[in-house]
Amino acid sequence: MDFNLTDEQELLIDSIKEFCERNFDEQKIREMYANHGMSDELIQAYLEAGFGLMGIPEEQGGIPCDLVTLGILTEEFAHYSGCITPFLNNTLAMRDLIDFGTPEQIEMGMAAYMETGKPIMSLGFSEPASGSDNMNMSCVTKKQADGTYILNGQKTWVTQGEVFPYVLVIAKDEDNARENREMSMWLVPKEIDGLSTAPLQKIGQQIMPFCEMYFDDVVLTEDMRVGKQGEGFKNLMKNFETERCLIVAQSIGCAQAAMDDAAAYVNERITFGKPIASYQLIQLKLAEMEIALQNSRNMLYKTLWKMDNGQSVRIDSALLKRYACMECTKVASEAMQIYGGLGFTTETRVGRMWSDLRGFQIAGGTDEIMVYIAGRQLAKQYARK
Amino acid sequence: MMNIVVAIKVVPDDQDIQISAAGELDMSKAHQTISAYDLNAIEAAAQLAQAVGDSKVIALAVGGSAIDESKLKKNILARGAEELVMIADDACADLDAHATATVLAAELAKIGDVDLVVCGDGSADNYAQQVDVQLACKMGVASVNGVVEMSAAGSTLTAKRKLEDVIETVEAQLPCVVAVTPDIALPRIPGMRDILAAGKKPMNVGAADAAAETCLETIEIKAPEATERKQEVSNASDDGAIDAFVAALKAAL
Repeated sequence: MDFNLTDEQELLIDSIKEFCERNFDEQKIREMYANHGMSDELIQAYLEAGFGLMGIPEEQGGIPCDLVTLGILTEEFAHYSGCITPFLNNTLAMRDLIDFGTPEQIEMGMAAYMETGKPIMSLGFSEPASGSDNMNMSCVTKKQADGTYILNGQKTWVTQGEVFPYVLVIAKDEDNARENREMSMWLVPKEIDGLSTAPLQKIGQQIMPFCEMYFDDVVLTEDMRVGKQGEGFKNLMKNFETERCLIVAQSIGCAQAAMDDAAAYVNERITFGKPIASYQLIQLKLAEMEIALQNSRNMLYKTLWKMDNGQSVRIDSALLKRYACMECTKVASEAMQIYGGLGFTTETRVGRMWSDLRGFQIAGGTDEIMVYIAGRQLAKQYARK
Repeated sequence: MMNIVVAIKVVPDDQDIQISAAGELDMSKAHQTISAYDLNAIEAAAQLAQAVGDSKVIALAVGGSAIDESKLKKNILARGAEELVMIADDACADLDAHATATVLAAELAKIGDVDLVVCGDGSADNYAQQVDVQLACKMGVASVNGVVEMSAAGSTLTAKRKLEDVIETVEAQLPCVVAVTPDIALPRIPGMRDILAAGKKPMNVGAADAAAETCLETIEIKAPEATERKQEVSNASDDGAIDAFVAALKAAL
């Protein structure tokens, strides 16, 4: 087993560190959270540094890399920036467009991305009554005599849905009955007649606002279709495993930043005449936080390595998502505890990290759904032959 | 068209240097890194090359065999240089400025056809600010230091020098040696493309032709002794506190 990073991966981490030192400090981060976004210049700079091109195919002007390296980028960016940025979501949206879009859609999307660093579309997948239970989806398109389609329904938790000019919507074909497995994806302009949005306020990750989205008799044309008719569900499933792993990478980076702060603070904070680092109850916290980080990181990179090597990670990615997201929230929670009263104020950043991390126990599949995904497979795997 | 050489010093990363109770510097655990001032020099050279057009930047480093390290070489080449020439030879470890300038001059003669040598303001470890001037002397060319801005046209370099109270603009005949201040250019952050390209650029690593003669003998290098804090606190609202504070400062200086 080789746990060494390559020179290139180490230099990438150095560059991420330099980039974050120049572009992120607590003052700026607080402004980003308050303004629910970051400057166009920063988004552009991320692209120009090549970070935003990683994981995008070479023929689209990207910098191909393996998933392990994409994981390192994601983890270390969250670590050194000390916050949850929209960059991972942007990359994932572009990968979806490239995987499923028509050549015209990809060209349009990449041209805009190369100019601005922003994807052209948000992802409208979840619904109020249909998150992991995709079959319960209400959004439906019905074909009209003139060859157009009418879209009706509602999406929710659409990240940056009010920011980007298009939304990638998944909707059932013709009939929204539970039994109907036929779904298609559509690239719908945000300004189209019949589409309205309403903002939702989050308790964490506020740099990326999300919204509700309503479709009332929205007229779609065939050229808005993304991917093949009826294959929307298959597409939806295709990138979920990568998404889960990279969410974990972001969580570990953020939790590591909380650990950095808290584990340094124990040497500085004096109670009863001694640094709190000398108390075993504090040492126990540090030991358990470090175990959680190391376990999560080991699981993450092993899972990414398996994906890079074409191995199935259906069980691994679900176990990883459940374990690591829960543990990373705990790390941030313990970091707050170490800070005591200060940890519950906005004078430190660990509280913000805790709120941000808490969201990842829900986004991309809840802790509980991960049990459901992995549990059934585990029973099968261990069944006596 | 210009051939620009940037002289780079590889130094122990100061974040990794440990200081013993006796004030000795332990560099055994320190990673080798590019001297911080030289990052600005590489960037200034790369920007000048781009402004002039059709030009080339060669990085030149001299040091002990430990500087021949794969990540370090890629790091240098990811920052704007097209080629690396490195003398990594234990005979060249810990050279003084005179010996460094001697080895650099010999290597520059081998590279040949060099229009400009760019140095950093000083090295991140010793900061003697000597190599650039001694190198120019050995090459028999002009030396321009304290440079905050430069451009080249034909065989002339125009440089702005930041002096204590004025900015001086000078012209120098090329080839010449300049030392640039950190203000001249913000070093680029190597992007992923630069990092991937670095490993494919030419790296010429070799040994020195002859042991260079040093003229300085280092007796010891020690960290400054930590002084006890006096813990005198002035309360600004007290009468005469500000005067007393100023007087205390003056007395301490």
